[in-house]
Amino acid sequence: MIKFGPGNLRIPKFEKPVYVVAGGLTDFRKKYPEKNSSELCTEALRMAVEENDLKVDPEYVRRRVNWCVYSQFADHFGDQLLAAAKIHDYLGFDPLGNIEVKTGGATGGSAVLAAAQAVASGYADCVPVVGWERMDEVSTKVGNSYIASAACKDFESELGWMYAAYYALMAQRYQYENNVPQETLAKIACKNHEYARHSPYSQNPGKYSVQDILDNDVVSDPLSFLECCVMSVGAAVLILADEKTAYELTDHPMKLSAICGGTHTLRTADRRHMPILLLPNETEETYKDYFTGRRHEWPGFSSFLASRMAAYLAYNMAGIKDPVEDFDLLETHDAFTISDIQTYEDIGLRPYGRGREFIESGDAFMEGRLPTNPSGGLIGSMHAVGATGIFQLVEVLWQMQGNWDKFHADPERWSRYGKKKPDDFRSLQVPGVKRACAISHAGTGSHVTCAIMEKP
Amino acid sequence: MAIELNGTTAEILGEDPLVIKNRKDWYHIHSYGGWGKFFQGLLEKKLLATRCTNSACGENRLWLPPRCECPDCWHEMAWVEAPTVGTIFTHSVVLYPGAPFRASTPCPLISVEIEGVCTKLMSYLKEGKPEMGMPIKAVFNTEKPTNTILDLAWVPA
Repeated sequence: MIKFGPGNLRIPKFEKPVYVVAGGLTDFRKKYPEKNSSELCTEALRMAVEENDLKVDPEYVRRRVNWCVYSQFADHFGDQLLAAAKIHDYLGFDPLGNIEVKTGGATGGSAVLAAAQAVASGYADCVPVVGWERMDEVSTKVGNSYIASAACKDFESELGWMYAAYYALMAQRYQYENNVPQETLAKIACKNHEYARHSPYSQNPGKYSVQDILDNDVVSDPLSFLECCVMSVGAAVLILADEKTAYELTDHPMKLSAICGGTHTLRTADRRHMPILLLPNETEETYKDYFTGRRHEWPGFSSFLASRMAAYLAYNMAGIKDPVEDFDLLETHDAFTISDIQTYEDIGLRPYGRGREFIESGDAFMEGRLPTNPSGGLIGSMHAVGATGIFQLVEVLWQMQGNWDKFHADPERWSRYGKKKPDDFRSLQVPGVKRACAISHAGTGSHVTCAIMEKP
Repeated sequence: MAIELNGTTAEILGEDPLVIKNRKDWYHIHSYGGWGKFFQGLLEKKLLATRCTNSACGENRLWLPPRCECPDCWHEMAWVEAPTVGTIFTHSVVLYPGAPFRASTPCPLISVEIEGVCTKLMSYLKEGKPEMGMPIKAVFNTEKPTNTILDLAWVPA
């Protein structure tokens, strides 16, 4: 059992406030031979400095930068170790210092965390975070085995070489313990494929009914292909700065009021029972009847301690009392429908065992109390792993600045990627977002970050 | 003396953009280190787990997968034979595995709950249809071992 000592749950703090200045993306594709990784990163950086209404010209931004953070999940995929050195060179940032961050699927979130730490400490005052992944050099089956290399290679990877299978094991147990029908999971997939239809950046948009999702080919039961994230090529860039620099560059920076990380064992198998770590909107009373029926342990196979830990720290750091009330927008790491519903509970949108209500009540939809993944998420839009956590925060930034339409609705932007804006396009701008949250997640919950952005 | 190429080529798959096919063909020499005993145990039809040797440690149950040191107190662990019967804690049938998978599909993966063990070992069901709570017993692939975790499997008890 994990027992916390007095230092373990210290709430992190920034010595200086951290701001988000600008963001940029490429589109995301299953295969992207037209551009190499350096070109993709440059394209995302140029969008950040050229299209975010900055008060200064791109060359000035280049001269303001004093530290860079790079975010790429797997050297296997790009077949290039020290790729960050190459990207850094091609972006023209030599000889400034840089660091490359790797924490699996949460690499993007962790990279933003590392950049925030640099700004908050005063080590740097203007830091681009550059993330990418190139997952098209190998077949999908080989790609799945590369990803499964991020499971325990001695005791687990050989059992399927496929992450969807490891999530399927959790799905079966979660559904058994909490009586969640497959239709509820399918609704998450429908929502995110649908939202992806309105994004020119998205790789896997689609109009599907719940029945379409249920009838889809199963990868590892109960998860079907349409309930699993895509494998993508693409890049994302987010620029962080301290307060003075942020307002020098833009009139509309957003404040990164918290970004915190948690972890748990790489193998789900090793997650022993412990008392539930309570969020500000929960008490002992919330869980007095939890360990009944088929539920005997926490976090076990049904919950992510890493997500709970990240949310615990970030909520306390940013003063969040009730996430559904306090947030106006949420981006989750919907790698699989099951992990999304588990995350709803870990981050306190519903108590443990009742995550289904967040989707079934309509809360998670555009019209609901907390619109979730209007970006299309990992199921609908992209999962170019190193770029993913950054992509989420770029979308959050644009939403908070009221710029969602600017970056999604212009037909020119669709034609830029060889696409046609759909005739039934609709704006997914969430009105008046004051505070938003983004969750970046690795493995079967090995690393998770929770970021909170708010209007200054 | 002129330098000569060794005759291998990177095949061209596309002209615009130029796309080539790079061959990768080699082995990784992997040591199981202190965990090797577990895999050697499978060849003797034994399920070897470890237990913390520190009497003051709060965790006295078995670890499976084994660990050489206790994560709770950093003390050494001792090897112990674990029961070869358990129950299915969760399961999923894999239909589309990753490329290097060595077993046939559909393949039922299972997580195994064993009395006295604090973890839930991931494995597979060699025969039968998996169900929650189903009693199972270990079987060992000693005829033509893969020398991987696949040498352990389970069948209905």
